[in-house]
Amino acid sequence: MHRFKLPPQILRLILVAMAIVGSYLVARSFLVPPSFGEYGWYRGDALKLIAARDPVFAGKQACDECHSDILHKLAKDAHKTLSCEGCHGVSREHCDNPDILPVKATGSHCIRCHEANLARPAWLKQIVVKDHYGPKCTECHLPHQPTQSP
Amino acid sequence: MNHTINRRSSLLRMGAAMAGLLTVSFARAAKAAVQTVFVSTTAPKGYDPTKHKWLMCIDASKCIGCGLCAEACKKENGVPEGPYYRTWIERYIIPKPKPGSDLTRGEAIVDSPNGGMHGFPEPTLPKDKIEHAFFVPKLCNLCENPPCIQVCPVGATFTAPDGAVLIDPNYCIGCAFCIQACPYGARFLNPATKTAEKCTLCYHRISRGLKPACVEVCPAEARIFGDLKNLAADDPLQKFYEKNRVQVLKPHLGTEPRVLYAGLDKEVR
Amino acid sequence: MMNEVTNSVVEALPQFQGYVYPNEANFHPVWSTLIVVYPYITGLVAGAFIMASLVRVFDVKALAPVYRLSMLTALAFLLCATLPLLCHLGHPERCYEIMMTPHMTSPMAIFGFVYAWYLMAVLLLELWFDYRQDFVKWSKTTAGFKGFLYRVLTLGVTDVSEKSVRLDMKMEWILSIVGIPSAFLLHGYVGFIFGSIKANPWWGNVLMPIMFILSAIVSGIALCVFNYIVLNWIRRRPLDMRCLDAMAMFLFYALVMDAVVEGLDVLHRGYAAEEGFAVLQTMIHEKLFYTLNIGQVGVGTLVPLLLLGLLQVLPRRVPEATRRVMIFCSGAMILLGVLMMRWNVVMGGQFFSKSFRGVMSYKMEFAGQEGWLISAVIMCLPFIILTVLVKLFLSERLQPCEHVLEKSSKA
Repeated sequence: MHRFKLPPQILRLILVAMAIVGSYLVARSFLVPPSFGEYGWYRGDALKLIAARDPVFAGKQACDECHSDILHKLAKDAHKTLSCEGCHGVSREHCDNPDILPVKATGSHCIRCHEANLARPAWLKQIVVKDHYGPKCTECHLPHQPTQSP
Repeated sequence: MNHTINRRSSLLRMGAAMAGLLTVSFARAAKAAVQTVFVSTTAPKGYDPTKHKWLMCIDASKCIGCGLCAEACKKENGVPEGPYYRTWIERYIIPKPKPGSDLTRGEAIVDSPNGGMHGFPEPTLPKDKIEHAFFVPKLCNLCENPPCIQVCPVGATFTAPDGAVLIDPNYCIGCAFCIQACPYGARFLNPATKTAEKCTLCYHRISRGLKPACVEVCPAEARIFGDLKNLAADDPLQKFYEKNRVQVLKPHLGTEPRVLYAGLDKEVR
Repeated sequence: MMNEVTNSVVEALPQFQGYVYPNEANFHPVWSTLIVVYPYITGLVAGAFIMASLVRVFDVKALAPVYRLSMLTALAFLLCATLPLLCHLGHPERCYEIMMTPHMTSPMAIFGFVYAWYLMAVLLLELWFDYRQDFVKWSKTTAGFKGFLYRVLTLGVTDVSEKSVRLDMKMEWILSIVGIPSAFLLHGYVGFIFGSIKANPWWGNVLMPIMFILSAIVSGIALCVFNYIVLNWIRRRPLDMRCLDAMAMFLFYALVMDAVVEGLDVLHRGYAAEEGFAVLQTMIHEKLFYTLNIGQVGVGTLVPLLLLGLLQVLPRRVPEATRRVMIFCSGAMILLGVLMMRWNVVMGGQFFSKSFRGVMSYKMEFAGQEGWLISAVIMCLPFIILTVLVKLFLSERLQPCEHVLEKSSKA
């Protein structure tokens, strides 16, 4: 009986090809991260990695723990939508250690929003600073209760 | 003789099996050792991404262009100085048409100095020449069909089960293909880490129950953020998309952005 | 006060015409000269291979003398094709991820596999089958390291019986046939990397892969012309004018096709004039004026078309020496023009904002990761590799086996 025999060069190439594919598969089993494919075509651990970062802004709720009186006043007036850290700066350190004082808010914080600019919506109260009294806002306006005067 | 052969072959077989087992266990141990490299050490607690669906919407008519959001974003996420922004504000100034021309408006002038981080200078046009002027906050549009994820060669960027489009900083190879593919210019290559970066919806904050930094500091409630899977009784997000006629940016590209805008103009893209 | 601060900061930033997204306001586009070189090299590979395939598949007898040279050229350039990509990565050490967890919707991930397929399953295999008989012969006659190398390259197969050599030739033919679509795939994919970016009107275009394939064929043939003339000049050997004329003919027809498709692309863009067309017009008229209108269209297409066309119309009237110079010059100009075309595509797509409201400037760096020095080095590397390959496998001292010569004269 005539047995079919692979030509030597083809056989050799098949062996080489198998070695290449085999080493690829071995490398793949080693180098694919364990959590890959947990939710989709990515590392599931990446979610934890990205979430692990420490927040910088403490958030209004954190301020409420000690300064609920101010927040209470704030909530009743036009500035109720403002965040404490928008004017007082990042307060994470102050939360952990009340001795580290946050930045003192100044008139420039008022001007940041209330300086007249044509692109600003009309409902927002705007002033032209140089025609107004000047940047000493707090002499006439209470920042936490802007509709009231001191 | 048969016996000896049998014994020898069975011994051989056992030997082979032992050797096989040894190799397999050795390979397992080696694999485990290699893969510890990939496992991150800090694991957060109690956040299940499958139980949320985050969304941010923008009410452009409310934006006052103070730039607090862009500034807070840089601080919160440690974004490097220079032209790198995860969120920014654009100002559109649409002049009045030239007198005598049959046009409805002039050609729009757009600017975003420093991403609007430090506010905007007075427009160069005098007041009586301006027809409309308004601000538009921009961020990752959280596309339903994100072209950036489509082109990532390694699966380093992805839509998380909770709807955030994220980048794995330890897996990104920095090829910048996603930056080219994003139609909204929301991505950049961080010069320090050499990986692509973008808005994560402040993933480290929202997974801790806080609001994203830009939403936290926005004084005008122009950014509305919420969880579609856990809507509160009087949720501002639900109110926003129920009350407004909304638009998305560059709808013709078929990216199906999830970030909805109210109060846009045709010039915004 | 705020305005003063803002104004001073704005002035410190690089100036851009019109409005660009803040993330785009960078003097260094994310894809730079390295990504210009990458499609250029890949295109040369595909073109040189297709040129070689003309001998095997379409039985073009006149081109037989450059068959091996074109195949080795393709190999030398293919070995360097991934280098620019690798150098450009922010994290080159993570490049293995492309092969380990390839994201199947990404053209770049698929390119890894297309590249591996093309290198190992097509080019190396075809070369091996072509050279196998010679390796066996040379390993017996050559001593020292070279002899050892040839012996290793036989992979231990020493069977050179007629039956076995006939099988080699059969396999070569099959591989050439598989190779042509593979070469199209290889470079079509590179075109697709750009053509699939719908966010960018300069790139996102169905014609892009086709334009890349056609310009690849053109540049590949031009490179073979260039290498053939230079090699024979170095070796002080007469050129086979029949072969050179045949190459010039194919170069001319390929260039005509390429010019027609690229013209169609321009026409279509102008006629459709979709969103962002205005900014593309500024690109053509200002930003890319020299590289596009003069480099790509003038030097790279029109002048070679004229020169080569003249040779087609008056084939025998032009004296041989003049013909040689004309063909060499067209080849060199086409090589330059196609490089310009890659520049125009890659850089052009990054010179305007995706808001279509402004254009960016670009200061080319010399050193550094994105500088042009490293690109120039990468462009020289294939020529160095080719020199080594030619010394090893196209040596004048080692005559190839009879069958190859026989076949080339018979075929």
